Amino acid sequence: MTDLILQAVYSGLLQGGSYALIALGLALVFGAMNVINLAHGELVLLAAYIAYTVESQLGWNPLAAIPAAVIIVTITSSLLYFLVSRVTVHREINSLTLTFGVGVILTNLVLMIWSADVRTTSSTWMQEAFIVGELYSMRSEVLFFGVSLVLIVALWWWLSRSWYGRAVRAVSSNRDAAKLMGINPGRTELVSFIVAGILAAFAGVALFSYGVVTPGYGSVLTVKAFIITVLAGLGSIPGVLIGAILLGVAESLTITLASSALQELAGMGLFLVVLFVMPNGLFGVARRRG
Amino acid sequence: MKANKIVLAILALGTVGSINLASAEEFLVGVQIPLTGPLARVGLGTQEGIRVAAEVFNKTNGKHTIKLITVDDESAPAKAVAAVEKLASQNVVAITGGYASNNISPASDAAGKLGLAYVTSGGVDDGLVNAGRKNFFRINNTQGYQKALVGLLTDLSVKSVSIIYSTKDATHGLAADVEKTLKAKGVKVVTHAFDPLITDFKPIINKVKLRDRSEFIVMVGYENDYVGILRAARVLKPSIKGVAGVWSLATPKMAADFPDLMPNVYGTAVLPFPVQFSTEEGKRFADGYKALLNKDPDYLGQFGYVQSMLLFEAIARAADKGTLKKGGVIDEMRKTDRQTLIGRVQFDARGDNPNFTQRMGQHQGKKVELVWPKESATAKPVYPGLPW
Repeated sequence: MTDLILQAVYSGLLQGGSYALIALGLALVFGAMNVINLAHGELVLLAAYIAYTVESQLGWNPLAAIPAAVIIVTITSSLLYFLVSRVTVHREINSLTLTFGVGVILTNLVLMIWSADVRTTSSTWMQEAFIVGELYSMRSEVLFFGVSLVLIVALWWWLSRSWYGRAVRAVSSNRDAAKLMGINPGRTELVSFIVAGILAAFAGVALFSYGVVTPGYGSVLTVKAFIITVLAGLGSIPGVLIGAILLGVAESLTITLASSALQELAGMGLFLVVLFVMPNGLFGVARRRG
Repeated sequence: MKANKIVLAILALGTVGSINLASAEEFLVGVQIPLTGPLARVGLGTQEGIRVAAEVFNKTNGKHTIKLITVDDESAPAKAVAAVEKLASQNVVAITGGYASNNISPASDAAGKLGLAYVTSGGVDDGLVNAGRKNFFRINNTQGYQKALVGLLTDLSVKSVSIIYSTKDATHGLAADVEKTLKAKGVKVVTHAFDPLITDFKPIINKVKLRDRSEFIVMVGYENDYVGILRAARVLKPSIKGVAGVWSLATPKMAADFPDLMPNVYGTAVLPFPVQFSTEEGKRFADGYKALLNKDPDYLGQFGYVQSMLLFEAIARAADKGTLKKGGVIDEMRKTDRQTLIGRVQFDARGDNPNFTQRMGQHQGKKVELVWPKESATAKPVYPGLPW
C-alpha cells in the first residue's frame, strides 16, 4: 500500500506541474485584465500540434518546436487581444463569449489542418521511464515539471521586478490610476496576452511530449486551467503551482485509493471545498469593488 | 405504311424507355455522423465507407441511385437528434451512421418518431436493441466483441486478467460482459473503471502491477485511452504476458502512428493487414475505396460500407414494391439475410445481427495478423508478447 500511495503522490506532483504550466497563462490574463480567456486551452492545443508537425515533418525532437510554437501562439494570442480590447461594454461577460467563440474557431481550424487523429510524440527519449528508487515516470514528465518550475519563478520575477510586470500589476489594480502614472493600459494588456501566449506555447509542447492530443481537448484544458486559477486565488502565481499540485495529487490519490472513475469528481470536489472555506482561493486577496 | 410502322416502333420504344426512367429514382439517404468533436476520427472513417457504398451501389444497381446528405452531429447527443430532424426535413428516406451508443440512442428515437429506418455500426450497447425500437438496425454488437476477446483469452489459457475500461455506455457494458464470462470460466478478474477524461494511467497500471498481479491486461476504450494505457504500462512494466483491446486498436493506422506501443498488442479486427479480399464484393469495395479516396480501407470503412449497402438494397427493394412511403424500408431491412464483408448479416426482431462475431488481430511486425478464431487465422498468436 505504501508503494502505491508514494507512486500516486509522485505522479500527482508531476501531473500538477503540468497543470500549472497550462494554467499560468490563463491566470496571468485573468489577474491582469479580469478577462477569462476561454480560448486559452486552444492556444495550448495549437502549440501541441505545432510540436507534432515539427516532429512528424522534420523528424526533430518536440523541444525543437518551442521557438516556432512561441512565435505562432503569441501572434494568435495578440490577435485575440485585439479582439478582446474592442469589447468595452460589460467587458467580463462579453469577452467570455468572444473568447469562447474564438476557441470554437481554433478547435475547428486544428481539426481541418491536422484531422481528428490522436497525436502524441513518437520520441523514444521522451517516453522512456525515469526511475527514482521505486518511483516511475516518463522523462518528458520530469523535464517539463522542471520547465514549469523555472517558468513560474521567471514569471514571478517578471511580475515583481520588471517594469512591464509591475505595469501589469498596476493596471490590474487600478486601470485609471495606472494611466495617470504614465502607463499605457492597452500596451500593458497586450504584453500580458503575449506572455500568456509564450506560456501556452511551452505548455502545448509539454502536453504533446507526455500526453495525447485531439482537436476537442482544448476545452478540457481551459476548464482545468480555470479551476486551478480560481483555486490559487486571483493574482497569485505561486498559488497556481500549489493549486495545480493539490489538484494533481488529489486526482492521483483518488484513482489509487478509490476509483479512477472518480478522478474528475475529486478535482471538482476539491475546488468546491476550497472555495467554500476560502472564497478568495488559497492565496488570493479580497478586492475592493468600485 | 413502312414509315408509319417505323414511327410507331420509335414511339413505343420511347414510351418503354420513359416508363423505365420514371421508375428509376434517386433516393436521398441521410448520414448523421460525428465529423467534429472527440469522435471525429471514427466518424470520418465510417463516413468514408458510407460514401464508397453509395458509389458502388450507384454503379452496380443500374436502376436506382442514392444521394447522400451528411450532417455532423459533433459527437453530442443533442446535436445527433438535431441532425436527424434536419435530415428528415430534407426528405431523406432513411438514416445511416451514428457513432457511440449515447449519441445513437436519442438519434434513433428521433428517426423512429419520423418513421425512418436507422442503421448503424457504431453502437454496441445492448440498451439500444432492448428499448423496443422498430426502426433500429445494427450490424455489430457487444456479444461479437466479447466472444472474440474471451475466445482468445481461453485459447491462450490466461488465468488472471485486469480489465481497464472507460465508463462510457458501450465500454462499460462490454467490460461487464467480459468480466462475467471470464469469471464463469474460472479466470480471476479485477476491473478498473476510468473516467473518459483521464490522461495519466500510471496510478491504474501501478495497481495492476502491485495489487492485481494479473497475467493479462484487457483495455476497453478508444484510441486515446489505448495510447495512454500502453504508454503507462511501458513505463511501469507490470509483469504481464499480453495486452488486448477492442475496436480501433489492431489497425495499420495505430501501427503507423504509434510504432513503439503496438508490437504484439491484440485487438479486434475484421480483416488482416495488408488487406486481401477474395470475394467479388470485397474487390469492388477495395477498388471503390482506391478510386474515391486513394487509400486502403480500414475497419471503420468496412462497417460503414456494409451497413449502408444493406440499407440501399432495402430502399431499392421497397421502391420496386411501391412500399417506400409505407414503412417499406424498415420491412425490407428486417428481411435482410446475406453474406457481407463482415460475414452473414440478418436482423432479428430487435434489430440486432445475431451472427456477428469479431475476430482478433495482433500487431506482428508491420502486419496485423488474424490470430482468432483458428479457422480465420492468418498467423499464430505471439504469446507471451509485449510492446516492451
